[in-house]
Amino acid sequence: MKTNTNTGETCMTLTSKAIRTLGSAAMLALMSQGAAAEGKLNLYNWGDYINPELIDAFSKEFGVEVTLDTYSTNEEMLARIQAGAAGYDLVWPSVHMHDIMQQLGLLQPANPNQMPGWENIDPAALRSQADPNGDYCMPYAWGAVGIFYNKKLIPELKSWDEFFAYANANPGKVTMLDDLRETLGVGLIMTGSSVNSRNPDEIAKAEAFIAEQVPNIGAFRYDVIPLVTSGDIAAGHYYVGAVLNVLQDPENLGYVIPAEGATMYQEDICMLASAPNVENAKLFMQFMMRPESAAKNAERLTNGTVNTAALDLLPENLRSNPSINPPAEVRAKLQIFEDLGKDLRLYTKAWDRIKTN
Amino acid sequence: MKNKRQMLWSALLKGYGVLFLVFLYLPLGLIVAFSFNANPINVAEWTGFTLDWYATIFQGASVEGNFDAAFTESPERIFDVIRTSFVVALSAASAATVIGTATALALARHKFFGKRFYQALLLLPMLVPDIVLGIALLIFFVGVGIELGLMTIIIGHVTFLSSYVFVVVSARLAGMDTTLEQASADLGAGPLTTFRRVTLPQIMPGVVGGFLLAFIISLDDVVITYFIAGVGSQTLPLFILAMMRRGLRPQITALAVLILLFSLIVASIGLILRNRKP
Amino acid sequence: MAGDRFMAARKRNALLLLLAPISIILGIFFLIPLGIVVVYSFLEPGLYGGVEWTWYPYNYGRILGWPLNDYEEFDPIYLKIFATSLKYALMTVVFSLLICYPAAFWVSRRSERWKGFVLFLITLPFFASLLIRIYAWLLLLRPTGFVNTALEAAGIISQPLDLLFSGTAVVLGMVYIFTPFMFLPIYANVEKLDFSLVRASQDLGASPIQTFLRVILPLTAPGMVAGSIIVFIPALGNFIVPSLLGGAKVQMTGNLIERSFLQSRDWPFGSALALLIMASVVVVLMIQTVKAGRAKGGRPA
Repeated sequence: MKTNTNTGETCMTLTSKAIRTLGSAAMLALMSQGAAAEGKLNLYNWGDYINPELIDAFSKEFGVEVTLDTYSTNEEMLARIQAGAAGYDLVWPSVHMHDIMQQLGLLQPANPNQMPGWENIDPAALRSQADPNGDYCMPYAWGAVGIFYNKKLIPELKSWDEFFAYANANPGKVTMLDDLRETLGVGLIMTGSSVNSRNPDEIAKAEAFIAEQVPNIGAFRYDVIPLVTSGDIAAGHYYVGAVLNVLQDPENLGYVIPAEGATMYQEDICMLASAPNVENAKLFMQFMMRPESAAKNAERLTNGTVNTAALDLLPENLRSNPSINPPAEVRAKLQIFEDLGKDLRLYTKAWDRIKTN
Repeated sequence: MKNKRQMLWSALLKGYGVLFLVFLYLPLGLIVAFSFNANPINVAEWTGFTLDWYATIFQGASVEGNFDAAFTESPERIFDVIRTSFVVALSAASAATVIGTATALALARHKFFGKRFYQALLLLPMLVPDIVLGIALLIFFVGVGIELGLMTIIIGHVTFLSSYVFVVVSARLAGMDTTLEQASADLGAGPLTTFRRVTLPQIMPGVVGGFLLAFIISLDDVVITYFIAGVGSQTLPLFILAMMRRGLRPQITALAVLILLFSLIVASIGLILRNRKP
Repeated sequence: MAGDRFMAARKRNALLLLLAPISIILGIFFLIPLGIVVVYSFLEPGLYGGVEWTWYPYNYGRILGWPLNDYEEFDPIYLKIFATSLKYALMTVVFSLLICYPAAFWVSRRSERWKGFVLFLITLPFFASLLIRIYAWLLLLRPTGFVNTALEAAGIISQPLDLLFSGTAVVLGMVYIFTPFMFLPIYANVEKLDFSLVRASQDLGASPIQTFLRVILPLTAPGMVAGSIIVFIPALGNFIVPSLLGGAKVQMTGNLIERSFLQSRDWPFGSALALLIMASVVVVLMIQTVKAGRAKGGRPA
């Protein structure tokens, strides 16, 4: 699930399989490219970002041996692919990374828009600027980044204002993500700018806003779920995947997309230019377009689905959950990150300063 | 007067020594104790005795219990990661043992120009901060176009492990009598025979000790591996780091105890071997 | 004669054979990579990781204030973070010194049998996984952790203390993991200490404090210096401990380097920071070498 993904660390890998796969993939690549080959498929995804049942199901249905390796940040994945990691067929970049990878020539068009099931994909989910028609990649899933909180300590939380007010009254009892764009993004939202601002003044304002809160923020961390669940901290800036925990203990836990707005993420499934198993990769995309697959995935990841037909298949508590499937007026307040190129350094410097105070 | 004061000092020192050992072992002891804690949410709050967390390592979330499946890693993943770690540690430690021993022999038994340079060079990998070596290797591998993975981790480990083996074996060589070697050479034995029959048996404890030290250090390395691990090559420490950053889960505590047990056993063997007088 | 020459040649070949592997390993995978770090620190960062091959000394300007261009501006925070790292590393050295020094005397006074066992006990934690030892402190220090629970139960505090995610936690964690590094060199020195000198000083009427300052301290100084260096170096470049116990709010130069490589895709800047750390290490080692040389040469036996 996305709760466990952006966590700035490498996640579990099916190691030995991958080694074997790398060897055989290299050989296959030499022998014949594009053939459905020996029935293999090598995935490179975020940690815990796919329902494992789906992999089993795909594997059984098509007789394909699937391996899954994981990464924890877009940058890490990009670095490893650029470093020449061969053998992978599909990757799950965030939208802005999808743009970057496509421009760098690391992807090949899989033409998901020609596949049966494409009609299920919400056209609004075609967020990539480099790939507006879905010639390359298939939208996968999306979610908001809001606040996960402990109701024993904060009975109800609706906005960033309340979050920071609580922090002010109880210094050290809240956390924010250790991610420069996410946390500065909150500052930009609170000061009324776009989370993709390239304007130094706006970024300076956002920096000042966050810097003012820093004394009250316990830590910048990803390991928020156990800390909030145990009451070590009262509330944490976190991905919508935390709703899985809320659904298990709704009396004590809560999740909210703050009223002022929030950032959101979306990942696309993309086929690498170096993919050794092109046909199987396409089959997998088609498989993931099925409403049943998308629904099963959303159930496990508790985040938004881009598959309109899957919505009807979701259990009621997920479909009606305002964090997972927010109403239009809330969606309108969600912003997605774009690649900033060189201007990323404005953020890096602001972030360095914030963390030094 | 004087005696009394000395006795007081000695008692104080004794008390301090006990405190020192408590400081070293209390944290580890608490981890062991609380790996049996049934509380799935707060590891530090005792709610009862359970072996569930150990069971999850071997059986996954299918174990009966009141914990959350999402908080549990599957046994296959854990064992895959452990296997990677062992492959890395065994290969790297073996290579480092051969290289380190050869170097120690060269420096102990030969006089040559540049010996001091080598002596200094061999200390460097132990003195350069891990993070510097980690990024240096990352830049190098990426720049040269060597794919990050199992191989890069093994190479990276060999670079600094060789120095450790060198130090351990050199210590053994320094305390060794060379008359036997000379006698062997005088009797017409070739250098290889002399090495196999005379030198090696004598330095064996040092070689084994060096190997075990290298093995443990490799098994435990976080920082360098963190930068040069590639596709499908996650080692146990990286896996634990990932689990820790995601939060304190009871399963980590149980896994930690098992690792602790293992490294303590290996370390004990190594230390006992090394302390055996030549 | 011919036999001698033959033997000499054979010996030389053996030497080459023995030295070849280490030369290759350290040459290719240690010296060259370090050299590349130096080169990279003078190159322009690539947009998506990696570098552009243009002369670009401004990475240092960002840290040190000169030279600068349009894009790189001087920001004192990098020096400030470096100063913080130095502070934490020095605090770690001082605290572990204070902890280990008396302990070394304690061990050296045990009987032979006990000594071996106690030494074994002290070395053993070094072999326990580093992460697990840090993890233990996470458990101890968190608001609902052992320390706070115990203090609250004892009625000493009513509100949990903010122990975790602080500079204190970082220093404590580093002291804990580096204790064996400090202990062993000091112990090796104390063990060799000639107690007849101590007794002589006492017999000559020196007070215990005088004896300590004039006799014991100078005699055990080499071990203290060695231990301090061995602790200082990994403490200065550490990023694991601050990122786990400092909650990413306390940051050291190591964290900046990590972020430059894995988050903000600015490899040259990370390289420049790494060289800043290397430079401090070299300075420390040079001071030590000069001092040691002077001690050897300056004091006739």
